[in-house]
Parts: sequence; structure tokens; C-alpha cells
Amino acid sequence: MTTDPNLWAKLHGASTHFPVALALSSVLFDSLAMAISNPERRMGLRAAGFYALILGVLGAFPAVISGLVMTRWDSLGSGPLLWHHCFVWPAFGLMVGLAVWRALARNQASSRVFAIYLALMILTAGLVAAAGYWGGELLLNG
Amino acid sequence: MSAFVEKNAAGLGVLSGVLALGAALGLAEIMKSQTPIGPLPASSGPAATLTAADKQALAALGRGYFIQSCAHCHGDDARGDEGPNLHGLKISNARIEHRIRNGSKGRMPSFAKKYGPAGIAALREYLRTLN
Repeated sequence: MTTDPNLWAKLHGASTHFPVALALSSVLFDSLAMAISNPERRMGLRAAGFYALILGVLGAFPAVISGLVMTRWDSLGSGPLLWHHCFVWPAFGLMVGLAVWRALARNQASSRVFAIYLALMILTAGLVAAAGYWGGELLLNG
Repeated sequence: MSAFVEKNAAGLGVLSGVLALGAALGLAEIMKSQTPIGPLPASSGPAATLTAADKQALAALGRGYFIQSCAHCHGDDARGDEGPNLHGLKISNARIEHRIRNGSKGRMPSFAKKYGPAGIAALREYLRTLN
């Protein structure tokens, strides 16, 4: 049985959309939670935001590993790949850090602290989206 | 949850992010150093001046560079993926080196900074082994 020479590229393509979509979803749910006054709905949206973030981080690990294997462990490429890496690494670090904080702090954080968290999460989602954009550029334009 | 963890959630979050990033980058460096690329042969100039042994050594080196930098677009077997098939190239050595050095706008990045003349010669020799 021969291995598909593009296996890791396919695995990266399959896994990488999870952290992108779930980070953006987490931000959306948490932002809506801040805007809604109904306590029950706010709690539900916050829970959705929390679990979207956790699942996004869990998806980020296979995405990162498959990406590294695909580029033969090149962590800072050239051209579009360099741009991709410049966004990927800060996004990955931030996403893991924010997920750990969120898992530990849960509902204990004050509104002010949660607002800071949300601002950082918006930045993270932006970085992840930019990383995804440059990944697409690599695919389409080499 | 313990009082320590609750009180230090922010610090633990920062630490986790730094550790995860450090682990990923560290793993990449360790695995990259395991790639048996090896030293450049004594002679790595224009193809016409190379002995058969030099060409063979350069091609082996070029294969390692190809896997590291080119395979994710051209395929592990160089038969093409997002980038074109590189087997049976009918262009000159100078043209091959020019393309690797300067790239192609919108299609392929330049590798001039990553590979000096010797590295580009190695890639050239590897590509010439592909029929």
C-alpha cells in the first residue's frame, strides 16, 4: 500500500478550518452575550463561546502539526508562506493562552476583565483569519 | 477549583500560550535538524565544471532542500500539485536557477535569501535527475 504523497497537505487542509471557524464563532457568541440582557440567554451564549474556543484550540494542534510536517518542519517560510507563519504563530499562542484562562476563570471574571479577554479574542480571531487568508494564497497562487 | 489557580488564571494562561508556542517551534527546529541534508560538496559551481561525483552529491543535497522548501507545492515526487510538474524540464540550467532565485510573481516565491548560489546549484542538479 503506497502512501499518498500529499497526505499531510490534505490533513492540514481538513483540520485547519476548525480553529479559524471556531475562533470566529467564539467571538461572535461572546459578543452577542455582552449585548443581551436576558441572563439565561447570556449564559447560554457564553457557554457556546467557551466551547467553541475549546474545540477551536483542540483543532489547532493537528492543524499546526500537519502544517509543520507538510513543510518539512519549516516554521518560518518565504513569500506567502512567511506571511502565513507570521500570523499563525501569534494566533496559536494567543488562542491556547486565552483558552486556558477561560477554562480556569470560567464565570468568575468581572465584566471589565471579560471585556479585555474579548478584545484579545477579537485580535486572535483576526490573526487566525489572516493566517487562513495567506494559506489560501499559497494554495491558489503558490 | 483551587484558590491559587483562580487567582493566577491570567498568568497560567500566558504561560500556557508561551509553552505551546515554544513547544511547536522547538519541535520544528529539532525535527529540521534531524533531516540528513549534510554539508555541501567541495565544488558547487556551474554544471559544466562539475565531476560526476560532485553532481551526484549536489543532487542528493538538492533533494533534501527540495523536500524542505518545494515539495509542498510541487509534490514530494516533483510531479506537481499546486506547482507544476518538474520532471523532464526542457529549459536551461541558467533558467532553472533564475526561477529558483527570483521566483515568479504571484505564483512562486523567491528563494534567493534562503539558498545561496551553492544551494540553488544543488536544487538545479536534483531537478536535472528528474526524467
